[in-house]
Amino acid sequence: MRAYPAASEETLRARKLLADWAGEGFVTKEQFERLQQETISDLRTTNIFLRLVLFFFTLVGVGAAVGLFYEIFLSGASGQTDGIFLLIFAVVCYAGAEVVVARARLYRYGIEEALAVCSIAFSYVGIVVFFGESRSTVDLVLPVVGVALSLWIWHRFGLWYTFPATMIFAALLPSHWTTSHAAVRVAVALLYGLGLAGVIAARARHRFDYVEDDYSLAEALLWLGIYLALNLQLWSLQMLGHWWGGNGRAASDFARPFYWTTWALIWVLPAVVLVRGVREKDRFIMAVGGIVSVLTLVSNKPYLGWPRQTWDPMLLGILLAAVALLLRRWLAQGAGGVRGGFTAARLSGKDRQWMNASSAVFGLVTPQSITPSPQTRTEDFRFGGGASGGGGAGGDF
Amino acid sequence: MNIFARLKHWREQGAISQEQYAYLAGLCRGEPSSLFLELNVLLYAGVLAFVAGLGWTVTTWSQQLGDLLVLAVLSIILAACFWYCFSRAPAWSLAQTPAPTAVFDYVLYLGSLVWCVELAYLENRFHVLSGQWDYYLLATAVFFFFLAYRFDNRFVLSLALSSLAGWFGLTISRWPDHQDATYRQYAILYSLLVGISGALLKWRGTKAHFFGTYLNVAANVLFWALLSGVFNRYGYGVWFVALLLACGASLAWGLTRRQFVFVAYAAVYGYIGFSAIVVRNMRGETAILAYFVFTAVGMLVALVQIARHFGRRA
Repeated sequence: MRAYPAASEETLRARKLLADWAGEGFVTKEQFERLQQETISDLRTTNIFLRLVLFFFTLVGVGAAVGLFYEIFLSGASGQTDGIFLLIFAVVCYAGAEVVVARARLYRYGIEEALAVCSIAFSYVGIVVFFGESRSTVDLVLPVVGVALSLWIWHRFGLWYTFPATMIFAALLPSHWTTSHAAVRVAVALLYGLGLAGVIAARARHRFDYVEDDYSLAEALLWLGIYLALNLQLWSLQMLGHWWGGNGRAASDFARPFYWTTWALIWVLPAVVLVRGVREKDRFIMAVGGIVSVLTLVSNKPYLGWPRQTWDPMLLGILLAAVALLLRRWLAQGAGGVRGGFTAARLSGKDRQWMNASSAVFGLVTPQSITPSPQTRTEDFRFGGGASGGGGAGGDF
Repeated sequence: MNIFARLKHWREQGAISQEQYAYLAGLCRGEPSSLFLELNVLLYAGVLAFVAGLGWTVTTWSQQLGDLLVLAVLSIILAACFWYCFSRAPAWSLAQTPAPTAVFDYVLYLGSLVWCVELAYLENRFHVLSGQWDYYLLATAVFFFFLAYRFDNRFVLSLALSSLAGWFGLTISRWPDHQDATYRQYAILYSLLVGISGALLKWRGTKAHFFGTYLNVAANVLFWALLSGVFNRYGYGVWFVALLLACGASLAWGLTRRQFVFVAYAAVYGYIGFSAIVVRNMRGETAILAYFVFTAVGMLVALVQIARHFGRRA
C-alpha cells in the first residue's frame, strides 16, 4: 500500500538516527563513517530548503500548465466540461506523483508532494465546477472524495499535511446531514473519535518502526480536532469577534445541557490527552495535550461569561513558567536526571536545531506583536496608536 | 530490518559496544524520553504571555495605578532580571558559551522585553526624548547588542537586529517625500551594515555562531528592497541588475558553503524579480501562462540538478 518499500524507509530512518547520534556524540566519528555505509537507501531525498523550492516551482508549473490548457482548448466551455477536465488533471497529477516515486525514487522531494497536493486541489475544484448547479450533490460528494483521496495520499506517500486535509473534509460531512450546530459538532467529534480508534489500533502494529511517527502525528491531530469540535468558544470566527468581551454569546446559541457538557469535556480532554501522551511517551500527543490545556484555560472565562482581565495573560505566563520549572526540578531529582522515563536533558540534535532556528525567528517577530509601539506625540493620557517598532518599540499606551 | 535488529547486527559485528547498544536501543524505545524542547517552549510561552499581560495591564490601568507604581513595578522586574543574569553569567568569552542555568536565557529575554515596555511607557507618559523614537530605538538596539554578546543569546540578538531595523525605518518615516525610494535605500544600507558587521565579527572570531542570524536577516532585507525596486514602474533596470547580482552571490554562497537556504533565496527572489520584468511586457494570458510553464520547468530542472549534485541519495 505504501509507495515506498518498508526496507528503504527503515534504512532511511536508521541513517537519520545515526547522523543524530553522531551529532550528539553517542557514536564516534569513525563508527558513524563505517555504519553510514550500511544505511544507504535507494530513495532520493533532499534538504528542507530545496524541497520547499521544488514544491513551489512544481505548483507554479502545474497550475500554469492547466491554465494554459484551458486558455487554448477550453475557453468558453461549459462548467461540466471544465469540471471533467479538472478531474482528468487530478488523475494526471496523481499518476505523475506515482511515476516520479516509482522511477526517480523521490522521497519528500517536493515534486511528488506538489503533484499529490495538486491532485487533491483539482479534484476539489473539479467537483465544485462539475456539480455547480447542484449544491446538495456538491455538499455530499466533495467531502467524501476529499476524505478518501487525502487519506489515501497520506497513507500512500506518508505526507503528514494531507491528514489535516482529511480532517477538514470530514468536518464538512455532518453539515450535509443536519442543520443543528450542536449535532454537527457532535458528529464531527464522533467522526474524529472513530478515526482516533482506527489510528490507535493501526499504530499498535507499528510500535517503534518507521511508520509510528505518522500515526503519532495523526493521533495528535485527531485529539486536537475532537477538542476543537467540542470547545464552543473557539469554533466560529463570529464568536471570536466577541471573545474578548466575555459576553457568553455561545451560551445562547446552544441548549444549556449541551453547552455545559462541552464545558466539562474541555476540562476532561486535556487531562486524557496528556495522560495518553505521557504513557506513550509521545511528543506530538503531549504537545497537543499542552496546547489544549492552555486553550481550556484561555476559553474558560468566556465559557462562564466572566469578563477577561488584563492580567490574565500574566497569570498564564507565570503558570506556564512555573510548570516548566517544577517539572525540570522534579526530573532533576531522579538518578542521572531521569525520572519516570523522562529527562530534561537534550538527547537529539534536532532539538538544538529547532531551538536555534526558532530563537532567531521568534526573536525577530515577537517584539512587534506583544509590546507597546511608539506613537506620535500626544497629550492624551492613554497609550494608543503606532504600529512600528523594532525591539518592542511599538505603541499602545 | 528495523532499527533494533540493525543495532543488534552492529553490536554483533563489533561496530558498537554493548553499552552503546543498550543506550541507543533505549533511546529508540524512548527510555529515557527527552522533554528538553517542551520545557523550553513552556518557558518561552510563559515569558511571552507574561509580558503581553504586563503591557496590556499597563496600557489599561496606567491612569488608575499611577506612574510611580507602574514604573516601580517595571523597574523591580527589570532589576531582578538583570541582577540574575549578571550575577550568574560566566566570564565573557569570544566563543560560544552555554547558558549557566536552564532558565537563564528566558530571564534575559524577559528583562529585555520589560525594558521595551518601560521605555515605551516613559516616553509616552513623560516624552523624555520629545517623541524622538528613533533615538530610543537606536539606544535599545545598542543595549540589546551588548546583552546578546555579553550573555551569548540569540533571542536578544534578534531583538537587537529588529530594533536596529526599526531605527532605520522610523528615522526615515519622518521624511515627507519619496518614501518608497528612501525606505529602499535605507533597507539596503541596513542589510549591508548587518551583513558586513556580522562578517567582520565572524572574521574576528567574536561569537562566530551568530553569523548565520546576521546573514539571513541581511539577505532577506536586501532581497525585499531590491524586489521593491524591480516592481517600480520606471527606472527598474538598475534594481534588476542588482537583484541578479545578489541572486548570483546568494547562489554561490549557498552552494560553496552548502547552506541551501541561500540557494532557495536566490531561486525564489530571482524568479519573482525576473518574472516581474518579463510579464509586464507580455500581452495576452496565453503568453504569460506559457512563460510560467516553461520557466517553472526550467527552474525545476536546474534545481533537481543542484539537488542531485549537492543533495544526497540516502
